Formats: sequence, C-alpha cells, structure tokens
Amino acid sequence: MSVTRADVGKIAALARMELDEEEVARLTTDLNGILEHVDQLTSLDLAEASNLTPQTRAPLPSTRPEAAEDADALDLPPASFAPDWRQSFFVVPPPPGTHREDAE
Amino acid sequence: MSDARDALSRIIETEEGAESLNAFLALADPDQLEPRTEGRLTGVPVAVKDNLSTSGLPTTCGSRLLEGYQAPYEATVVRKLREAGAVVIGKTNLDEFGMGSSTENSAFGPTLNPLDRSRVPGGSSGGSAAAVAAGYASMALGSDTGGSVRQPASFCGVVGIKPTYGRVSRYGLVAFASSLDQVGTFGRTVTDAAVLLDVIAGHDPRDATTADTPVADFAAAVGKGVEGMVVGVPTEYFPDSLDPAIRELLDTALNRLADAGARLESVSLPSTAYAIPSYYVLAPAEASSNLARFDGVRFGVRQSAADIGSMYEKTRRGFGPEVKRRIMLGTYALSSGYYDEYYGTAQRARSLVAEDFARVFERVDVLFTPTAPTTAFELGANTSDPLAMYLSDVFTVTANLAGIPAMSVPVGEVDGLPVGGQVLAPWWGESAMLAVAGALETAPLEDAV
Repeated sequence: MSVTRADVGKIAALARMELDEEEVARLTTDLNGILEHVDQLTSLDLAEASNLTPQTRAPLPSTRPEAAEDADALDLPPASFAPDWRQSFFVVPPPPGTHREDAE
Repeated sequence: MSDARDALSRIIETEEGAESLNAFLALADPDQLEPRTEGRLTGVPVAVKDNLSTSGLPTTCGSRLLEGYQAPYEATVVRKLREAGAVVIGKTNLDEFGMGSSTENSAFGPTLNPLDRSRVPGGSSGGSAAAVAAGYASMALGSDTGGSVRQPASFCGVVGIKPTYGRVSRYGLVAFASSLDQVGTFGRTVTDAAVLLDVIAGHDPRDATTADTPVADFAAAVGKGVEGMVVGVPTEYFPDSLDPAIRELLDTALNRLADAGARLESVSLPSTAYAIPSYYVLAPAEASSNLARFDGVRFGVRQSAADIGSMYEKTRRGFGPEVKRRIMLGTYALSSGYYDEYYGTAQRARSLVAEDFARVFERVDVLFTPTAPTTAFELGANTSDPLAMYLSDVFTVTANLAGIPAMSVPVGEVDGLPVGGQVLAPWWGESAMLAVAGALETAPLEDAV
C-alpha cells in the first residue's frame, strides 16, 4: 500500500496539521518507506492471533467503589501558573472567529 | 545536602561553558536544595527526564509547543523521589515527546555523548543517561516506550532499567504511547538503578494500569548470584550482521555467567522480525491520539488565526519533523478503511511477540541479548533516514510490546565506546533480572566530564 501526496494532504487535515509543500513531499516519501517495511506483516497468518494487548494480562486491582472521592489537590495555587486568573476562574482567550478584536 | 549543592555547582560550571553537553533543560533553584524529608535517598541528586511533571520546574517534553509550561501537579514518581529525601537537580533533555533514539529530535538542540562529544547519547532519555555518565547526578529517571532507557544506557556506559508494565506509576508522565510507556531508572551501578526502582515502584490509585502486586526489595536482589539459573540466548538477537566485536563482548559476558553457575541455553523467538513493523504502527497510532490534546486550547502555545480550525493547525506547526511524521503515520493507520489492515494486524503481530516470550520463559529464567546493534553513532548519522533510526531499536522494542521487564548493563567497550548487554525477564521478574545484571557488572566508568 502506498500513499500519494493527495493522501498525505487528507491525513494532515484529519490530524489537524498544517504542512507546507516541502513537508508534504518529504512525508510522502517517508511514509511510503515506513509502510513498505510494515507491509511484511500482511504475509503473516494471523487468523488465530489474539488482538488483545499483552498488558491486559496484568493482575490489575479490582475497580474502586462507586463513590465520590475528594479531587486531587493542586500542588500550586492556580494563580501561580495560570496566565490569567480572576474571581476563581481561569481567563482564556475567546475562540477565534467569535470575538471582534476591537470589542474590549 | 552538600552532594546536591556540589552537583549543581558542577553542572552549572560545565553546562554553561563551551564544554556543555546540553544534558539539562532546567536546573533546580539553588535555594531549593534542602531535602524535604529524611529517607533512603536523603540529599541524593537525581535528574528527571523532562516529560515527567514537576512542580517548581517547567515540563517541556523537548517541544516548542510546551515551552514555559508549568505543570500544576507532580508525577507520582517525582513525589516518591522527594518523599525518599532525594533532590531533583534538574530536568533532562530528550527527543521531543520521547520520539527518537538519539536526543537529536529535541527542539532545544541535541545532547552530546559525554564519552565522545561527536556522538549521540542515544535516546530518547539521552539527557538522563548523559547526566549520570558525566557524574552530574548519581541517578536519573527516564521513560522507555521502545528502548528509550536501555539504548541510551548502552551508549553512555551506565545501567538502565525498564520495569514490567504496571510496576511503576505513569501518573504525571506525559503520554506518548500508553500501552508501551513505562518510567525507568538510570544508575552508575546496578545497585543504584535498583534502589531508585525500589523508591518509585508500587501501586498508585491514580494510575489504573499499575498492578497491586508485592514489590520485592530489588536492591537486595542484585547480589544474589546466578547459581542454578537458566539464561536463554535467543538466536534472533545474534544475527550474522552483528558487529563481531560486540558479539565477542557478549560472549565473554555469557561465559562469566556460566562461570558463576548459570546454565546457558540457546532459544528461538521466531516472531522477533515482526516487532519493529508492529511497533511502528502501534506506537504512532497511540501517539496520534495522545498528542491530539496539544491544540492550543487544552495544551500548547496558542497561535492566533481567523478561525478555530486554522488556530489548531497553526499551533500544531510547532511540532518537530519526527513528531509530525509519527502523528501522520498513526493517523493513517487509524483512519477509516486502513484500521484493520494496519492497526489490527500490528496488534495481532504484537501478541505473537508476547507469546514467544511466554513460551521461552517456561524453560529459562532470563534472556541475554545485545541492547543495541551498534555503539553510539555520530551526530547526524541517521537523521535523514527515519527507517534506519527506527531499526536501531530492533533489540529493545520487543520488551515494550510484551510488557516484560528488561535492562541494560555495561559489558565492555569497542573502540573506546561502551556496549550494553540486555537482560530480559518474565512479567514481574525484576529480581531475577537484577541478580543476573549484578553478576555481569564490572567496575563502573570514571566520570566522563
């Protein structure tokens, strides 16, 4: 299976990534090289193989009781790391396109 | 206490000069070197990889996207360090988000190998390995998703442990590939690395993948000896293409184990060839999902744009080339129409790798292999060929895929560069692994700086 430059453009849109032409060209070459290596897996007979991760065999603890627990306390007060903190709220920029820059 | 102050002075003196290794991205405040408690590591300076959340020091993951980011809480492993009396001396350089095998993928420049500054220290925990090899810190924490503790340990001539998946909490470790990531330890000696593992191991209610199994005294296991143990030697890890000088060192190490009373047995792990192709589908797939949060809203330095879609895209331009490559690969493997062909197939191939190990561990106590196919390579040698870089993980990714513990211990030098031998053990088998590593240990290196 190989990917084209158009495919790379579609994948970039899915991944929310802006790529320039040079990056698209390089990634097309890189992905095809890697996928060619990966394609050796397609020759395997995997009909009987498990699709569970080996990690699911770990003796995990039983689930905790369905009861509310105290939230983790922060190590630092929010005002010490938040860019803007007013009246117990984090102040964040408005979403782009929803706010006129000259409104304030 | 004076240890930490001396260590910090030495780091500042060297790292701020022309001989800098670029091992650290942030250093402790000189006024904050007092141990918070008395414990097993009172006053011991420990370096921490910069993908572990720390209060009081920034956590950048080697990425421009997190430049200046201050986590509001601490990783469980860092909290345990402080509770044991250790002093976090600084945050170490890494390949961006742990993606790489050379520390050349850091947005803040590569770390140099303290034994030869023209070479890489390995990666992705290259800053931690270099810090220990240089004598900047007695011990260090790293993380290992495909070999990121063991390979740099091998390249820098120190000891590096990747514990069993679920042995150590990942709470506060910035996730790369959650089914493969595990926090690991570095030390100048096997005992140092084992003591650090003792301190950080155990169940954590904040990480549902940590296991509620007893934690042995790992440091006590180091001197137990190997009398009567069976050491498996997998043929697939000793290919004809292996450097004869590296093979000779490994043969010498195996003979040392036999002289100490272990029985050597040749074994086969036939699915080893599928490990790299499986890993380089699964790890990028998990990364593409985990790194979706770096969008300028939840995390990441926001770039302004006219609409929210463009804002996400402009913000995520801040990822470096290797991170972009893996996100693209993972997004492709998870996309509609390709999911079963790539992700489903890789997941099944992974189970074959794990079953190989389960089968041989019915007959042998541990396995012994090279840690890496080469010694430390020159800076820039593999940066233009991602597949060549990925193939350098060939002996280490298998332990992550199967979830088993593995570690690297120095076994000698080729042309003045250290070579690591890898000991692998079954699930929760760290004690046997450490006993074998202890028997292999020779004199630790002198400070390289």
